[in-house]
This record gives sequence, C-alpha cells and structure tokens, in this order.
Amino acid sequence: MLFQIAWRNIWRNKSRSLVVITSISIGVWAGIFILAFIWGLYQNNINESVFKQLSHIQIHHSTFLEESDSKYTISSTNEIINRLEADNRIASVSSRVISTGMISSPTTASGVKIYGINPSAEITQIALNESVKNGSYFDSGKENEVLIGEKLAKKLKIKLKNKVVLTFTNVQSEIVSGAFRVGGIYKTKNISLDGVNVYVQQNYLRELLELDESQSNEIAILVKDEKQLDSIKQFSTTLVSQGKIEDWKELSPELGMIIESFNLYTYILTGIILLALTFGIINTMLMSVLERICELGMLMAIGLNKRKIFLMIMLETFYLTLIGCPIGLLIGWLSVTLLGKIGINIAMFSEGLASYGFNSMIYPSLENENYVIIGVMCLITSVLSAIYPAYKALKLNPSEAIRKI
Amino acid sequence: MAKTIIDAHNVSKTFNSKTIPVHAVQNVHVHIEEGEFVALVGPSGSGKSTLLNIMGGLDEPTEGTVFIDGVEITKLSENKLIDFRLHNIGFVFQSFNLIPVLSAKENVGFVLQLQHLPKAEREKRVLTLLEEVGLEDKINSKPGELSGGQQQRVAVARALASKPKIILADEPTANLDSKSAANLLDIMAKLNKEEKITFLFSTHDQRVIKKARRVITLVDGKIESDVQQTPT
Repeated sequence: MLFQIAWRNIWRNKSRSLVVITSISIGVWAGIFILAFIWGLYQNNINESVFKQLSHIQIHHSTFLEESDSKYTISSTNEIINRLEADNRIASVSSRVISTGMISSPTTASGVKIYGINPSAEITQIALNESVKNGSYFDSGKENEVLIGEKLAKKLKIKLKNKVVLTFTNVQSEIVSGAFRVGGIYKTKNISLDGVNVYVQQNYLRELLELDESQSNEIAILVKDEKQLDSIKQFSTTLVSQGKIEDWKELSPELGMIIESFNLYTYILTGIILLALTFGIINTMLMSVLERICELGMLMAIGLNKRKIFLMIMLETFYLTLIGCPIGLLIGWLSVTLLGKIGINIAMFSEGLASYGFNSMIYPSLENENYVIIGVMCLITSVLSAIYPAYKALKLNPSEAIRKI
Repeated sequence: MAKTIIDAHNVSKTFNSKTIPVHAVQNVHVHIEEGEFVALVGPSGSGKSTLLNIMGGLDEPTEGTVFIDGVEITKLSENKLIDFRLHNIGFVFQSFNLIPVLSAKENVGFVLQLQHLPKAEREKRVLTLLEEVGLEDKINSKPGELSGGQQQRVAVARALASKPKIILADEPTANLDSKSAANLLDIMAKLNKEEKITFLFSTHDQRVIKKARRVITLVDGKIESDVQQTPT
C-alpha cells in the first residue's frame, strides 16, 4: 500500500512532478552528452595521432628513441615487413628511415625531423597523400623530392618547386647535406608537427645516411582490430632482435593518460551536474512535504510509523528518478548515436583545435559502462536528495501537524 | 461496575514555556469509563483539542499521566505510542483528513493493512464498515469526489476499522451541514450503543452536545463542569 500511495502521491501535482522528471532527464542527458562529446574529442585526437602519425605499433632499435641517432637501426627490414604483411590481423606496415637535421632555404633555416619513407606504403599507413594541399605526393619520380608542411613552408618563405638544403649527420657521424626540391606542401590536423616533419624518398635518404638497404629506423604497423594489439606486439618480438616494440599508448603516454583519466572525468562531471539536480529535487520534495504536513500528521496519528513515513517520501523521489533517469538515458543514447554518425562540426574553432591535433568534426561516443555509471549515480543522487525532505517529515509532531491546514 | 478506559491524572500542557507561556490545559483530572459518549465542550482556546490530543497520545503533557485501558501512554516511546494508537484509538478529525489519493475503500483498509490483516478479511471488514456508515455505493470514490458529510463518514469507518476501544473526534461536525451532522451523530450514537465503543469528542456544536450522555466543560484549560445528561 505504501508503494501505491507514494506512486499516486507523485501524480497529485502533475506539473511539479513533470518538472522534476524533466530536470532529471535533462541532467542525465547533459551528463551523457558532455561526456560523449569529450570522449569524441579525445577519440578524434587519438585517431589523428594513431592513423595520421603514430600507427598502432612502432618497432625501433632499443636505443633509437633515446639517442635519436640514425645509426641505431633495425636490420632485415624487408624480411620483417614481409612476415608482418603475411599476418591477416595487420592492416598495413611501413618502414621509415629517420634523421634529425636542419632545413635551409635562401632566407632562413629550421630544425626538422626527416622521414625517409616508402611513399606507397605511407598511403595506407598515415594517408600522407591525403594531406597534400599543394603540389603532388612524390609523383615526379625524382629522388630528391621533399614534402614539407605548410607551416614550415611559411616559416622558410618557400613555395612549391623551390630548392632547400637538408643537413644532417650520417651513421659515420659526418655532416652531410643534400639539395632537395619541394614537390609538395602538406597540411595535417596537427599544425605543430607540420612545422617540423619533412618527408623524402627512403632510398635516397638511406644513401645519404650510408645505411644498408635492409636497414631502417622505424617499422610502423596498423592493426585491423585494436583488441589484437597485445598479441601482435607479442608476435613482433619474435621477429626483431634488439628491438623495442611499443604501442601508441606507450609511444604517446599523454594519449594513454587521456583514456585512464576519462573515467575520473565521468565521475566528476556527472557529479557536478547531479549536484545541481540534487538541490532541485530537495527543493521540490521539501515543498511537497511542507504542503502535506497536515496529511503526514494524520498518517502518524492513525498509526503509520515514522520509518514508513520516511520510506514513503524516499519512494516518491525514487519513482520520479526511476521515470526521469531512463528517459534521460534514452535521449542521451539517441543523441549520441545520431550525432556519433553525422558528427558535430566545430569548424569555427578548427584553427585553435588543429594546433592541439584535433579535427573540426567531432563524433560523440560513449561506452555502455558509462551509461550504467551515470544511471547509478543518478539513482544514488535521488536517494540522497530525498533524505533531507524525508527527515523533515520525521521531525513532525502529529498533533501540531494536524492543526496546520 | 464499568471498566475505566481513560484515566487522565493531573494533566497540564504549557506551550512556549521558554518565552511567553500559554497554559492550554491546567491540572485536569478526567476519568472515562468504557462505553461512555462524552462531549468535551468549551469556547475556542479553552484547551479542548489539546486535551483530546493528549488523551489520544498525539501530544505529550507537560505534567501528569494518562492511562488508556490500563496502559500509561505518557511513558511509551514514540514508536510504541504509534503502534498503540494503531490498535487502540480511532481518530476523526475536523477537516476529515483522508488520504486524498486513496478511494474510500482503500482509506478504510489502510489501517487494517498496517495491522497486517489478510486481504480477504480486510476487504470483508471494509465493506461492512462502509455499509454501516451508509457508503456502500461510494467505495471506489476518492475523497475529492465525496461531500464533506460522506468524507467524515469514511473517516468514522476508518476510525472503526481497527476495532478500537476509543474513538476521539475533534470537532467532527464543524465542517458539516445540519443534515450531514445529524446523520453522522446518529451513526456514532448507534456504534456507541451497539458496539460499546467509547466516544470522546471535542465540540461546541449544540447538536452534538445534546446527543452526549456526559458533558465536560473546559474553560481556560480547566474543567469547569462535568455533568451527566440524558441525550435528546
């Protein structure tokens, strides 16, 4: 009967109950949407980093990343690549020869990281060809062609077809220079990298560095299913001796940290939204209790004990949440699913976002467990919000309460 | 000799004792026997409702003791007192005070449900009670769909539901028209006579006072007179 009374009580003032239900729904929806948007933003950043820069797995000589010296190489590159390409869990593989040096134009110079790439392999690896805005993607067939970022081109005040000189040290620790012609100017979503990365033909750079044909500094792997990441890493260790095999989370710890910290954000953000909601619920339920003082007094007079009065008020709040929360979850899920497909264009902020490596299209997404967390937090909030109004009802003296009409 | 059902001894109640004290009830001794039909009368502010609330265990006296059927209710803990009221005292309030979201049947059955009476037994008793108060055709009506007199009759049926020893009614006819008031009084008098239920009601309604067999008059929180009379 108490459950029935509580249920009917919430419909005594339909508009008030609907306001509470709407607030709960909006609160839950807002929580879901903000989290999904942030996660979409992070995912965007992660995808930009993984698919346009890092790849899922990178293999280096064990000291290459620490020393940044081209002499630390992986040998038998072609053999390793063939073995990896034969594995159907792997989407694409590419090798890179890497050196750090200086790029000079007639007017100025700048420090750069020089990537010697196999152009066809990088099409499937980091889709570098798609980023070329001006010129072509190693189409001329000339070995001394260089692809530079738009930011760097502006800094060096050079245009397409201009000549630049790349200076670096070879494996014998001798300074070597090479004249290159700008064949293409690219622009990625990560402007800061556009200012430092330049791409040249792998064989030509290898020659200048005095490396063997079988030597490279980096092998990048894209996997088909990220769940296979660990097993592919494991498999890679059998192919490379003295190699260091790292996935993108290890290569870019800040990206890994984003994922680790996201759950914490879930709790904090949802907590803040629900805290605001708490006061709304407290206010409404308190009003509901105060305007029923006489009735509550009567219930105590005829034999309803305080524990049951407390339970009744708690149930009323719980019912409101039980209606509002699923509605909020459903609307949240629908809007995240829909916007996750069509995306949100935040082009007006794209300049600023690009400098942090973000794309202007954000696709909100949220793991199912986050919906559960938000739902549970919402129910806990409702129970906590009901405590004070229910406590106020407990403090009533039946004789005084009955007199209040 | 009739059994003592209410024994209020030296009962006083002072409100606002820390600021400006208001002595609502002062050193009252009341002794009511089983089956009595008592009217507690007096002008507004004379302490009728306060005394009634104290005797019903809804309010604590500042001083004095109250025994109901031999149990000193002034010493009971809050929860025990609620339980005692549930099983021993029926209340009828001036403004009906039914549960607005429940039908007449559910309002009467609510008390029985609190007493954990089986459903079949509960429904049978509820129908009997509503028939007794002449509302057998209104069992599914909500309080808002009933007239003031009908609501008060539901309240009487609810008060009777737990088979209490006493029914305390605080100005039960105050919000009723003459016909409804007369009808209600007839029902109460009949129940008192046939089921030996003790009725104690505060009132300043002359129609009610005339029906009482004993009239206790309160003035300024003190008993001014306590007389037996023949109801008319």
